[in-house]
Amino acid sequence: MIGESWITTRFEQLEEWAQKNSFWPLPFGTACCAIEFMSTVSSHYDISRFGYEVVRFSPRQSDVLLVAGTITDKMGPVLQKIYEQMPEPKWVVSMGACACSGGFYRAYHVMQGIDEIIPVDVYVPGCPPSPEGLMYGMLQLKEKVDRERQQRNKERTSHADSDGDTAAA
Amino acid sequence: MSRPREHPRAVVPYRYSLGDKLYLPLLVGLWVTLKHFVRNLWTRGSQVTIQYPEQRRDYSHRYRGQHILTSRPDGSLRCVACFLCATACPADCIRIEAGEQPDVNIEKYPVVYEIDLLRCVFCGYCVDACPEEAIIMSNNYDMAFFDREQSIVAIEDLQRPFVLDPSRLGYRPSYPEEEAKRAEIRQGLFDLVEEAKHRQGGSGSGARAASV
Amino acid sequence: MPTVTATPPLLERYPEGSILPQEGLDQPAWVVRREILEDLARDLRDHPETRFDLLLDLCGVDFPERSERFEAVYHLFSVTRKERLRLKVPVSEAEPVLPSLVDVWKGANWFEREAFDLFGLRFEGHPNLRRILTHEGFQGHPLRKDYDPARRWVLTEDKVYRPRPQQPVEEEDEDLFERMTINIGPSHPAMHGTLRVVATLDGETIDASEVEIGYLHRCFEKMSETHTWQQVIPYTDRLNYCSSFINNVAYCRTVEQMLGIEAPPRAVWARTILSEFSRIMDHCVCNGSVLVDAGALTNFWYLFQPREEIYGLLEACSGARLTVAYGRIGGLAADLPPDFEDRCRRLLETIPPFLDDVDALVAHNRIFLDRSVGVAAISGEEAVNWGWTGPCLRASGVGYDVRKAYPYDLYDTVEWEMPVFQGGDVYDRYRVRMAEARQSLAIIRQLLDSGMPEGPVMVEDPHVALPSKEAAYTQMESMIYHFKLIMDGIQVPAGECYSMVEGANGELGFYIVSDGSGKPYRVKVRPPCFPIFSTFSRLIRGGTVSDAIVTLGGLNVIAGELDR
Repeated sequence: MIGESWITTRFEQLEEWAQKNSFWPLPFGTACCAIEFMSTVSSHYDISRFGYEVVRFSPRQSDVLLVAGTITDKMGPVLQKIYEQMPEPKWVVSMGACACSGGFYRAYHVMQGIDEIIPVDVYVPGCPPSPEGLMYGMLQLKEKVDRERQQRNKERTSHADSDGDTAAA
Repeated sequence: MSRPREHPRAVVPYRYSLGDKLYLPLLVGLWVTLKHFVRNLWTRGSQVTIQYPEQRRDYSHRYRGQHILTSRPDGSLRCVACFLCATACPADCIRIEAGEQPDVNIEKYPVVYEIDLLRCVFCGYCVDACPEEAIIMSNNYDMAFFDREQSIVAIEDLQRPFVLDPSRLGYRPSYPEEEAKRAEIRQGLFDLVEEAKHRQGGSGSGARAASV
Repeated sequence: MPTVTATPPLLERYPEGSILPQEGLDQPAWVVRREILEDLARDLRDHPETRFDLLLDLCGVDFPERSERFEAVYHLFSVTRKERLRLKVPVSEAEPVLPSLVDVWKGANWFEREAFDLFGLRFEGHPNLRRILTHEGFQGHPLRKDYDPARRWVLTEDKVYRPRPQQPVEEEDEDLFERMTINIGPSHPAMHGTLRVVATLDGETIDASEVEIGYLHRCFEKMSETHTWQQVIPYTDRLNYCSSFINNVAYCRTVEQMLGIEAPPRAVWARTILSEFSRIMDHCVCNGSVLVDAGALTNFWYLFQPREEIYGLLEACSGARLTVAYGRIGGLAADLPPDFEDRCRRLLETIPPFLDDVDALVAHNRIFLDRSVGVAAISGEEAVNWGWTGPCLRASGVGYDVRKAYPYDLYDTVEWEMPVFQGGDVYDRYRVRMAEARQSLAIIRQLLDSGMPEGPVMVEDPHVALPSKEAAYTQMESMIYHFKLIMDGIQVPAGECYSMVEGANGELGFYIVSDGSGKPYRVKVRPPCFPIFSTFSRLIRGGTVSDAIVTLGGLNVIAGELDR
């Protein structure tokens, strides 16, 4: 009775621990921010110190969509398709002013923030954000994933408790 | 004018030397990578990687990070709600609502001063435009938001005391001729920090942010 | 500035009044009737006294109050004779039709599509006149003056254009290979995120391909019409974002020329040095990406290190690493930091070892040679016809560099060589960039040795430069100028001007029309990689897909500049 749920819960925890410490980002880099993303990956900042260096360009192998750069209306359908192709669980980091809100391009061909088409978990301001800013954003995402896990666990235990109560009754 | 010289119509590609054909320069390449490998492994301090967040890059005092609204010695905002920053802003990300002082001879003050940090492109034009040195920038780049509403920062966040730490000041007007005056201002800001810390008693969000 | 007086034997052939020469601020201009345009273009290209072999730029300008509302503006350049000419062809709104010049200059192809897209000018005889920058669901022509800058159109999945490359018709296909159409990009690491190529393969070779751009069309030109002259500078940063500062310089120099002012010597000195550092950064990114696309990742890390060091210098000057916004019309945004010279000298020592390392790794590496020598080769003659400039053109044996041909800033005070190679292929493009990075270091060293000029970094014209903060706080007059400059912006006298610098990719020109108000009337960028990338289909034909990937890396297509 105990054993079965214990194993699955432990396994889920292990999975979540692994997830938050090794995101596999898909850099959807279109513009200036992509250059700063390259800096983040290169020697001076080295994002692999956090375990996020497994940059995948295939949406099917990644769990964090890192939108770096302006998304135009022409690019919109492409971004949406890529997001849909990513397996769950997935998160979205919006890097830089353009991806977050359109930035100073209040213009006829620029999407005013990617949250028009896909949900965003973390917004990183800056034009472009410095590599530290991006890493800060990634660490915030890690914390967010952690918080969500704790939230879920709490719900689960409260569920289990209430189940136990009804059974006892 | 002499007869125009025509452009080359044919290409002359690089010709492999014998060494190239025998893959010999590959050994040189291997030596280069080996050299870097050994040096980075054994020489202390040869690694260029910055161990963020424990260690930070030494950005200059012109870094254009999050904005600060500066205060007068009495704690009120220096801003007089003249809208120059909002006009100069190419991203149109500053929203100001002016309030009148009871005494018409005293300048106006901002009732609302909001910056949409997600719109902002950190170009520093607001700092250049401000005639009162009421808005300056910090070198704070640790910013991230979980939703769009959170990113619109208002007066209380822009006036946050932790960014008044002189070592964290960023882009602001410079006085090349008057370094002394600048030092004085710096000292004034520093006093403000001390005072603010004192007032807050080392607790609250400001102090926590300072320890980041 | 060079002047072309209308060559009599050439002009006699055309009816009276069909060509009206004008004297321009920067270069002569002819107002030409559209009926004779095609013949005239051919004559201008072939006549030994004109030899305008390069079409630099083609753009539209909208004047709603004129009876002939639109004006198509052609910028011609003679590489052999180093002369320039602007042709202006007015057309009416009712019939905005011009002859296509694709047969004269192949580089006109994409430029004409762009003018069609943004202004609705139609080019008769164009092989494929459809939208290029905006998407398929777009309606109207955004650069017309009556178009609301913020009016967006939604692109739905069903409207997305599906390119069908023109296949060569073959009756009997004897070989067993099946034709296959593959799509590369736009979200593909080798397509730099924003370019799309649809290629038809015969076995492994590319038969035909179609290139789709516009995925990063950020409306730079429309945005500059809605902002003041100084506010455009942050936008220019984001054109070629690998070397932002050069864009600042190009734009500021053009506006300065229109205003008739000159930046003070100290600013010019700093501009030259920082432009050269920006060029090194750009070449580092380009060569880094061509090598990483070829599978040589280590070089990418090596080349990014000097880049980071240069970022440090730019950040100390301007406050930002990438999008510097450091240039201002009339000088620079702020004085140089006190340790500027020391930092530059340190950089001069740290950069060469990295370049040497990369050269040692790949310059004679047989694996890289096999991937790059003879790949996507183009002759100088053809490259000029396609409108190429910059390192790619110099790799094809044509020695044209704006810094040599029209020395601006301090380039005539320093000794440097213009590297020219004859291969025209990916390998020579790599070599040109490496050699140029070294030449840039030599330029910087000489400028440092000549000493930093003293003085201000901004002109002392209260109609252009903001007064010093000190003055603005204390003096009433300065305060008023300060307010006026921020509220109304700089007032640039009415007129037009084309001015260029040597960008990292080639000739980066700004064609600016002013109506005398506080905002630009029209800003057209002459993006060097636009005509270069329009050649892509021609370059990759007959090669393999892996060749196409390396070719793209070697062309250094920067989407911000390509799509604007």
